[in-house]
Amino acid sequence: MNLSKVFTKAIVSSPERQQEADVDFSIVKRVQAGEVAAFDQLILKYRERLFGVVYNLTSNREDASDLTQDAFIKAFQSINRFQGNCSFFTWLYKIALNTTLSHLRKNRLRTFFSLEKLHEEGTNAQILEQLTDKKGADRETYLKELQQKLNEALQKLSIPHRTVITLFEIDGLSHSEIAQVVGCSEGTVRSRLHYAKQFLQGEMGKYLSS
Amino acid sequence: MADHEKRSKVSIEDLLRLKQAERPSAEFWAGFERELRQKQLSALVEKRSWWHSLPQIFSRRVYLPIGATAILTFSLVSIRYYQPSQVVPVESTAAAPVSSFSEAPMTSSIASNPVPVSSPLVNRADHALVQAEARSESLVATPSSAEVALGSPSPDDSIATISPSARTIAANLSHLEQSDPELINAVSGSRLSSPGRSQISTVAVADLSNLPLGNAKRVRLLAHYSDRPVSAEPVAPDSVRERLSRRLGDSDLNDRWSRFGLKGDKVSLRF
Repeated sequence: MNLSKVFTKAIVSSPERQQEADVDFSIVKRVQAGEVAAFDQLILKYRERLFGVVYNLTSNREDASDLTQDAFIKAFQSINRFQGNCSFFTWLYKIALNTTLSHLRKNRLRTFFSLEKLHEEGTNAQILEQLTDKKGADRETYLKELQQKLNEALQKLSIPHRTVITLFEIDGLSHSEIAQVVGCSEGTVRSRLHYAKQFLQGEMGKYLSS
Repeated sequence: MADHEKRSKVSIEDLLRLKQAERPSAEFWAGFERELRQKQLSALVEKRSWWHSLPQIFSRRVYLPIGATAILTFSLVSIRYYQPSQVVPVESTAAAPVSSFSEAPMTSSIASNPVPVSSPLVNRADHALVQAEARSESLVATPSSAEVALGSPSPDDSIATISPSARTIAANLSHLEQSDPELINAVSGSRLSSPGRSQISTVAVADLSNLPLGNAKRVRLLAHYSDRPVSAEPVAPDSVRERLSRRLGDSDLNDRWSRFGLKGDKVSLRF
């Protein structure tokens, strides 16, 4: 067996992830065989997660929309090169990440935030309840301010640190998955994560402690 | 106090998890899908640049040995047949007698005309043969030139001004013939015997006295002695032309081509 495939098997350790990867690969094979419409299933499956990553890296919904579309187009154009050495999800993330990082490097000086609406539901509602006891307009203003401050703090991070913390804390990827997507060691991922958290704690101290 | 207790429970991880709640609305996804569909269609129609297909071309390993073999073969053939254009050095066959002719400053011989040969199809051996033949022909032709130059001057043509080199060579050779006839016989004996040479010289004198000497005098002389058609341009000897045509012939090319063999993905080369 190919060494990279062994490595991939080790990374996609959980049975759910493995099953998901197998399903994706079967869809990819159909697309490679000429069934172009099958690619829509992959778009529907991953568009929100992909958009979330790109959005949290750019803090701009229009840019995030364009970059996510570009990532899907690139993946579609290069689908024949996908050999199944890693999961489709990882491959797609790599494409999206490279597209986004390239965009961020080109527009380093441009920082314009256009934020999505914060949905108050589930665990988020509990966190928000803990953060503020305000009601009505005050609460709305407070949450907007919190959202803005958090985005500003994230944008102050370097691109590698921002990438790692976005993929780990927001998107829920494991260290090994991040290492594969970003192309560095797990130790580097942990180190970057630690630094990014420390930095954000310093920046968001007003909202975290008295 | 209650506010402080609540806030102290919130960690940076909680705050970051809030970011998951920043999601676009359903209308956004409708627009997203429409735009993506348009981009997808234009990507299908759009012709990709040629450099995008380069990795695929190079990934086909079968082309690499063929390309390498082609380059190697071309290099070998070029090295074998390449000969830079060169000028044959001027032969000063008899420098001493020339000094006696004040009006003949040029000392170059007929054979010493520059012969640029740079074609890869012409072999070095052929080039050498051309030089050797031209040299020997000059030796054959010079006695008549000597007689023309010294014995029968044309009344209206100024030979000295038209071809001083021919005059010089003729003078040199006649001088050499008088002083050392054995040497001349030894040099030109393989081509022509002494009586034959004198006979040709007599004919040449007769012919040349009737001919108006022009720019191509040297060529005409050569053509006359070698029974070739008269032409203004120098013509390579028959043997050389025959050899060249043989080299360019189909059979020879086929013979060389048969040295290359293709078995599977390997190319063999026989030397």
